[in-house]
Parts: sequence; structure tokens; C-alpha cells
Amino acid sequence: MGLESIPVVTQSASDGLTGNAAAVLREIAARLESLAKEGQSGIIDLGAMPLSPADKAWLADKLGQGEVEINLELDGPSHVRETRYAGVWWLLHHNPQGAVTGEFIEITRIPELVLAHPADIISGSESLNFLIDDLC
Amino acid sequence: MREQEGRLVASLAQQGISRRTFMKYCATLASMMALPPSAGIAMAEAMASSRRPSVIWLPFQECTGCTESITRSHSPTLEGLIFDAISLDYQETLMAAAGHQAEEALEKAIEDNKGKFVLIIDGSVATGLDGAYSCIAGRSNLELLKKVAPHAAAIVAMGSCAAYGGIPKANPNPTAAVSVSDIIKDKPIVNIPGCPPIPVVMTGVLAHFLTFGSLPELDKLGRPKAFYGETIHDRCYRRPFYDQGKFAKTFDDDGARNGWCLFELGCKGPITYNACATVKWNGGTSWPVESGHGCLGCSEPDFWDGGGFYKALSMPANPLKLAAGAAVAGAAAGVAISFANRAKKGAAKAAHETTTLADLEK
Repeated sequence: MGLESIPVVTQSASDGLTGNAAAVLREIAARLESLAKEGQSGIIDLGAMPLSPADKAWLADKLGQGEVEINLELDGPSHVRETRYAGVWWLLHHNPQGAVTGEFIEITRIPELVLAHPADIISGSESLNFLIDDLC
Repeated sequence: MREQEGRLVASLAQQGISRRTFMKYCATLASMMALPPSAGIAMAEAMASSRRPSVIWLPFQECTGCTESITRSHSPTLEGLIFDAISLDYQETLMAAAGHQAEEALEKAIEDNKGKFVLIIDGSVATGLDGAYSCIAGRSNLELLKKVAPHAAAIVAMGSCAAYGGIPKANPNPTAAVSVSDIIKDKPIVNIPGCPPIPVVMTGVLAHFLTFGSLPELDKLGRPKAFYGETIHDRCYRRPFYDQGKFAKTFDDDGARNGWCLFELGCKGPITYNACATVKWNGGTSWPVESGHGCLGCSEPDFWDGGGFYKALSMPANPLKLAAGAAVAGAAAGVAISFANRAKKGAAKAAHETTTLADLEK
């Protein structure tokens, strides 16, 4: 007998807007202004504040869809999406089981996670040279 | 720069774990620990470049459930990251060495890392008969703790037994079990209670130690505030039903099917500080309340003696007129209740009645 045969229907008691999403939107605006003026990057942890599913949908609707979308496979899928506002990125991390493990708004030119690390570039350059040496 | 990076990034790469995977893990860990989001990047850099600190793990009066919780966490590669970042020099259950070799490894780890190693203890400390109830290699746990602790940089008391005495300390406590902090008074001690504790709490504390060289902020019971700062009840997804006065009355009524609050079925969420409601178990799959059972309060001191698991917190619990509330069921009351229950069991047997759980909880 599978779980689906047990007639449990879980009601959600917090479907409505809590008003917190509007506050997050203002924080994004303030940080974007500081990125524009001072070049200061910022991250907002969406898991750190109580946002209902409706709040997140509202926020996603207001921020819209930009031009860039990046999918990463990092022990579970991660998704980086540019919003309609250049410099505002929406990051969503999942574990291998598909559960959301983290959700962030990053206000920066390009999210840190996407950038190649200098040490990895050095080791990549060495490996590539080894490969070329082997060819000769 | 690459030498500084030490073994962690290299050993991760060998296991097919990229730097970005590690950064993602650190970002979610920082988020769970309520650290600023930027701390995730600091953690990734610091852990990748830190010298691997020595960790000595001593199991005392315990069931190995805590070790199981850590080593069998759902994403072994990721929780295992932390074990790659440390040098686990002594852990009887996990180490290959046994007997004299194991004890030599312990002596060597203490000698080589005096004042610098992290000491993890799981299990309570038996003090009855000079600690003779629990011995390893001919030494009592009490003796071993007193010998090793003075040389540790910090102590992590893993699980409710090490943190508060746990089940071994439950009435009538035949071995005179106590917690680590009852014995050791002059070292920083982090309590990570839970039966067992959530794996990520353990890795979070170690990651904090590796990144910042210090222990995270603790509450008055010595628990990391990031994980034990709020009650299960406050972060429970069923909390709105409590506020609306919608309660499941039995485990199979409409309320239970609709996922209503389990308070009246004895949920200890309102008095239990832990992160189950947010971090969940088994890789974020579920947790006790989500699976339909109230919280037992396993991360609170003396949870085993706190009254019945199925008694609602605010309901009077004195059918025997012993003036004992659910939260203050003292030793005398406990014994009296058990006598009364035994009498009831005997009577039921004589009358060929079935003794139900409800009878025993009365």
C-alpha cells in the first residue's frame, strides 16, 4: 500500500500575502541603488524571512524575467535567473532529492557562484598545457 | 595560493565534488545558521584553505544513534565534506584500528594536538560505582573524560545524553549518569541535543569553528542559537491551525487528515527548541510533525521524564490525585504512577481486558 492510498489532504493555512514581499522588494531596490552608485554587491536570503508561497509568486511577478538563465548541476540542480532589472539575480538551490535547500536574491554584476575561481583557472591552465604536451 | 588551499578542495575534486558544489553547500549552511548570506562565501574560502583540525570523538553511555545520524545523513558526500575538512583521529565506531592500536592513536592525537583539538562526546557519563558502569579499554568514561578534556580547545556534547544526561539519566538513573557539563567546568562546551541531533547542526558548528576559529553563539543551555533559537511550535507549518483553534483529537480523525495542530495529542513543540521544523530530516524529506506525530521534545533536558508523550502540555495530568502536572512529574510521582499502572495491568489481565495506551497514560 502506497502513501497515496491514505486519504490525507493537507490544507495550507498561509496562502495569502503577508506583506513581507513588499519589504523585500524595497530592500532589493536599495541594494541595487548601492550597486549602481558604489559598486557594492549584496545578497538577500529569502529563506531567512517568512514568505508565503503567494509572497514569492508576487515577488517573482514584480521582478520579472531577464535575458540570462543559467542551470548548474551541483549535487542537485541549481538555477540562476536574471530578473527584468539588470544586476538583480534570483538563485534557487535544490538537493539531489529535489527539495529546495536555499533561495537567494543576489544583487551583483554576476553571481559569485557562476564566476570561475582564480585557483581553478590556474589549475585548468596547467591541465590544458599538460594535455597539449601529451599531444606532441 | 594553491598550496594554501590545502587538501580539502583537492580531495573534493577527486571525489567529483566541484568548488561550486562546495560553495552552494556553504551558502545553504550559512543560511541555516542564520549567518549573513555573505558568510557562505567566507566559509567556503576559509574551509578550503584551513589546516585540518584534529577531532577526537569519544563515545560514552550511548546507543550510536548520534553517529548513525551524522554518517547516514541523506547526502553523505556533502555532510562528509566536513569530515574531509577535519582530521578525525579517534572514533571507535568508525576507525579501522582496534584494541591497543586504537588507544595508541588516541594518546598520539592528544600529544600532537595539545590545546588545539576539538573533543566530541556522545553519550552520558556514568558516575555510579566510580564510573564502572561504562568502561573502554579498562578505563571508566569518567576517568577518560577527565584525562582528555583538559587538553581540548573546545568540547562538543553531541546528543541529549552528552548534553543533559538523556535516557541513561532518566528515572531511576541506575548508573548515576550525568552530562559532560556536569563534570567539566573550565572548557567551552557546545551542547547539540537531540535524540539524535540533526546532522547539519553538527556540521554547522564544525564549519563555524573552522571558518571563524570560534564557537557559534550559544543560548543559556549551551546550544547554538542559530539552530535552537526558536521552538518547534514557532516554526511549525501547522502553527496557523493552532492559532485558529483547529486541533486533531485523535490520530485518525478529520483533523488529523486535514493536517491540523497536534497539540492536544501531546505535541511538545511549544516547549522544544530545535530546528526540525525548518531543516527537517532525511535530506529535507519530512519531520515528525509532517508525518503526523507530535514532537517528543527529545532535545530538551529530561524529556524522558517529562510526562507522557501523548499528554497535552496544558492538560492536568493527575488522575491519581498526586498533584503532579505533566511538566512536574517528580520521581515519587513516577514511581507511584508505575505502581498504579502495574496494578491496572494486573486487573486488566485478570478481567481479560485489553490494556490500551490510553489506560497507561491516564
